[in-house]
Amino acid sequence: MCLDDQILNTYIDGELAQPWKSRVENHLSTCSGCRMRLNSLKNISDDIKNSVLSDEEIRPRQERVLAMLEKNCLGKKKKFSLFRRQLRFSVGQLAGAAAAFVIVFAGAIAFTSGRADQIIPAPETETDIDIANIMPVRAVDSPQRGLDTFTLDEILKNLDARGYDVDVKLKSIKPVEFTETEVLTN
Amino acid sequence: MEIRSGDDAVFRQVYKQVFPLVMRVAYHVTFNADIAEDICQDAFIRFYDKDMTFPSLDDAKFWLIRVVKNLAINHVKRKANEVAKMEKIGRTPTDNPFGDGARELLLNESKVAVRRAVAQLPEIYRTAIVLREYADLDYQQIAKVLKISESNVKVRVHRARKELEVILGREDVNVP
Repeated sequence: MCLDDQILNTYIDGELAQPWKSRVENHLSTCSGCRMRLNSLKNISDDIKNSVLSDEEIRPRQERVLAMLEKNCLGKKKKFSLFRRQLRFSVGQLAGAAAAFVIVFAGAIAFTSGRADQIIPAPETETDIDIANIMPVRAVDSPQRGLDTFTLDEILKNLDARGYDVDVKLKSIKPVEFTETEVLTN
Repeated sequence: MEIRSGDDAVFRQVYKQVFPLVMRVAYHVTFNADIAEDICQDAFIRFYDKDMTFPSLDDAKFWLIRVVKNLAINHVKRKANEVAKMEKIGRTPTDNPFGDGARELLLNESKVAVRRAVAQLPEIYRTAIVLREYADLDYQQIAKVLKISESNVKVRVHRARKELEVILGREDVNVP
């Protein structure tokens, strides 16, 4: 049985796996018709290959595109352009950035010194004191202590030091170690 | 060897090795050297700007081939009428798509006829045969670039040659 064109094309491309390749070659050695057909298909393949865009046709284009890339892309990327941009902007923005920093910093100082009562909430707004608030807090040693990480005692002492008069009432729990009068400070 | 596309030295090396190949792919799909040049330029700019890392030169090459192939096919689809016009123009040496006259000496009629015939193939056969004959990829590599099966590649290459045989005429093909 003769070979079909697809098998011959696959054979021409060197893509025929071994058991089949040998069988095809055996057949070709005995069948002149298939040999002729193989040659025809090889000629088509060779004609296509021979029409390839030549190196001479490619070279000037390759050089031209490279020149364009060298001029517009290569070496102008990221580090270099960013560096240049930073220099350009840093001079212009230095005064503005410094001014903004000073304003913000000064504002923060004025705010904290003048209105400390807003930073530390007034006891009335702080709670409804309940058992949760007066339990010891585990995160006492954490570097950034939020208000809820202080014990009630610490808060009271702090407020006392600031000159606040604080009245605390505990509901449902009878104070054990101190009386209400001890808590009251002036 | 790992390839980083945004590295200038690596880029130049890849460009030197891969440009001729992708130029051939772009040209034989579009049948227009100027368009092919633009497509290659576009692909290499993308390649550089994306600053990608490839495990090997082959992987970088396949990426570029795929991008160029897609750009070329998009162009062909978008400009179907213009391509038809270029095929016509390509017959007159003074207006051929290769620009200056010096290179016309390198071409002969049969070469141009085959190039034109390849450009007439349906897109799916054209890409397969271009990658096989002009980019010299094997079936497995073509399958990778086109994202189809190897058996599909085999069929497309075969059908492309069959169609070319018809377009060119057997006697043209058999007499080199």
